Amino acid sequence: MSAVAPPGTGDVTKEQVLEAYRVMRTIREFEERLHREFATGDIPGFVHLYAGEEAIAAGVIGHLSPDDYVASTHRGHGHAIAKGCDVKGMMAEIYGKKTGICHGKGGSMHIADLDQGMLGANGIVGGGPPLVCGVGLTAKVKRTEQVAVSFTGDGGSNQGTFLEALNLASAWHLPCVFVVENNGYAEATSSLFHQSGVDVAKRADGFGMPGIVVDGFDYFAVHEAAGEAIARARSGGGPTLLECKVGRYFGHFEGDQQTYRGPNEVEELRRDRDCLDNLARRVTESGLAEQSDLDEIDRAVAQLIDEAVEEAKAAPDPTPADVLTDVYVRY
Amino acid sequence: MSEDVTVGVIANPASGRDIRRLVAGASVVGNADKAGMVFRLLAGLGAAGVGRVLMLPAADGLSTTLHRQLHARHTVPAFNGAGPFPVLDELDVALDGTARDSEIAVERMLAAGVRAIVVLGGDGTHRVVARACGDVPLCALSTGTNNAFPEMRETTVAGIATGLVATGRAGPDALRREAALRVEVPGAAPDVALVDVAVSRERFIGARALWRAGDVSELFVTFANPSAVGLSAVAGALRPLPRGGGRGLHVRIARDGAAARTVRVALAPGLVMAVPVAGYRVLALDEAVHVAPGPGTVALDGEREIERRHDEPVAVRLVRGPLTIDVDATMRIAADATPAQPAPG
Repeated sequence: MSAVAPPGTGDVTKEQVLEAYRVMRTIREFEERLHREFATGDIPGFVHLYAGEEAIAAGVIGHLSPDDYVASTHRGHGHAIAKGCDVKGMMAEIYGKKTGICHGKGGSMHIADLDQGMLGANGIVGGGPPLVCGVGLTAKVKRTEQVAVSFTGDGGSNQGTFLEALNLASAWHLPCVFVVENNGYAEATSSLFHQSGVDVAKRADGFGMPGIVVDGFDYFAVHEAAGEAIARARSGGGPTLLECKVGRYFGHFEGDQQTYRGPNEVEELRRDRDCLDNLARRVTESGLAEQSDLDEIDRAVAQLIDEAVEEAKAAPDPTPADVLTDVYVRY
Repeated sequence: MSEDVTVGVIANPASGRDIRRLVAGASVVGNADKAGMVFRLLAGLGAAGVGRVLMLPAADGLSTTLHRQLHARHTVPAFNGAGPFPVLDELDVALDGTARDSEIAVERMLAAGVRAIVVLGGDGTHRVVARACGDVPLCALSTGTNNAFPEMRETTVAGIATGLVATGRAGPDALRREAALRVEVPGAAPDVALVDVAVSRERFIGARALWRAGDVSELFVTFANPSAVGLSAVAGALRPLPRGGGRGLHVRIARDGAAARTVRVALAPGLVMAVPVAGYRVLALDEAVHVAPGPGTVALDGEREIERRHDEPVAVRLVRGPLTIDVDATMRIAADATPAQPAPG
């Protein structure tokens, strides 16, 4: 037996924390900018924004290597950015342009990049969990030590697909982590009306899998818990259900009037529960990083997003002939 | 039964979902089980003459099951002949799912003149209640095996004991004056712990529960029980000190290689670890210890609660804590007070 506890995942290095801040700031700027650009009418299709929930994408996906897999939701931009998808290619994709990472054919809700282990945003609510069972089974059979992580919302956690996936992953002891981003609403329905029990994590008990709850606004809480869950999956310890309690800054989709939310709810979330403010305050007060380190990241991210929007607007549309490409794919 | 004797009940529906389920395999007590614990508690309180119970409104899973059980009492034949139950009144409090719920509940209960408060939850829930309850006695009950302050015991009997105290039939020997540890960090409001305070080099609070001893540099305890689970078991292994004795222990944890001795303890259910110790000394009541400035966190009763600025010191003082009901002592007092019956035959 070791004289001290095993190396902790709770503590972080300066490099780790600055990278997490960069990822979170990039997601925030990407989403805030999309919110403004969508209102101009230039962006086709539906857009579901992730702002407010950045600490989860950064805290979970920060533990993954490029070989690991993520299956996302309709609210998928944050997961894609954290998984390393090209930000300019993503912006072009959401604008439906030929230079997009899916050649403009996926848009916001089908954005994917298999080279980065990003299996895609998903138009099916609760669509991600069964996919990671497949990926997890492959990793287990091939003994690759890869891990597959799915994201689901509180609404998605009521879908049969979610519960079936928990059962299969537990029965087959798959290297999967099921993250529930509980933002309190299934589209426009409060979880108080659509969910029995206070914690989705308790549903793990029925499948013989650990289920834990963390504050999804707190990067450090997510980082520590996800680190343990992912290390457990990678070392053959089986799946975990990780519920992150969080809130979204925008509506279910852009254009949602949000009449179902309290009058000051979003304002209070932005004031009191901003995951970026929380991270910035704590890393500077602890002496781990300087404010100037964070300011430099903010400047670089602002420039990146400006360029991404300009380039996306200027990029060519797909041509009618492109409709016939990428229809069948050989794996 | 006396209508005017009221007891408060706080059952935390959110306890038992922390990282220890993942890293140590700690037990899981579902809300249906907690509802059963409250139901049996009510039976005990009613039998001992408590007329009314004021309860923090329980969240969905717990409340529904409890009300179904209470309803079944009136309709299921097996319950016929069971003793009186107190009237159950739920406090009109809008829950926000944080520790503030319990604080508000305690304030309301004190205003309503409760004679005792029964708490079902972990060390964290008890800490919140103890900060607010003044000298109203607590019956501290655990809803899992992962706690050092509350006891894991059958709630029917705990209810009887609490009822005996609340109706004034148990006397002062039924109560125990606990100690507490008052913690002061310049950047934060003063706080208290009921069992232990750990100063850790880990910079951030993270997933809250403290389950790695490797980064802990100083440990303070209000009592030292070798049978405890958690960091206080380290103190218990070094120098057992009784609960309610007014003396605590200050333990310095060693860095690797510098240990005077090493103790092996259950840091969490399912997690037995070797902890290197540099030294320890007994703390007297009102004695304060000052920990030098440095970055890191302070854990209260096993949960990282305070992040220190890199230049902030920590002061820890052993102080008077809440009154708790000693269930075994209460039941013994009640048995001794029972008038002798004539021998059979």
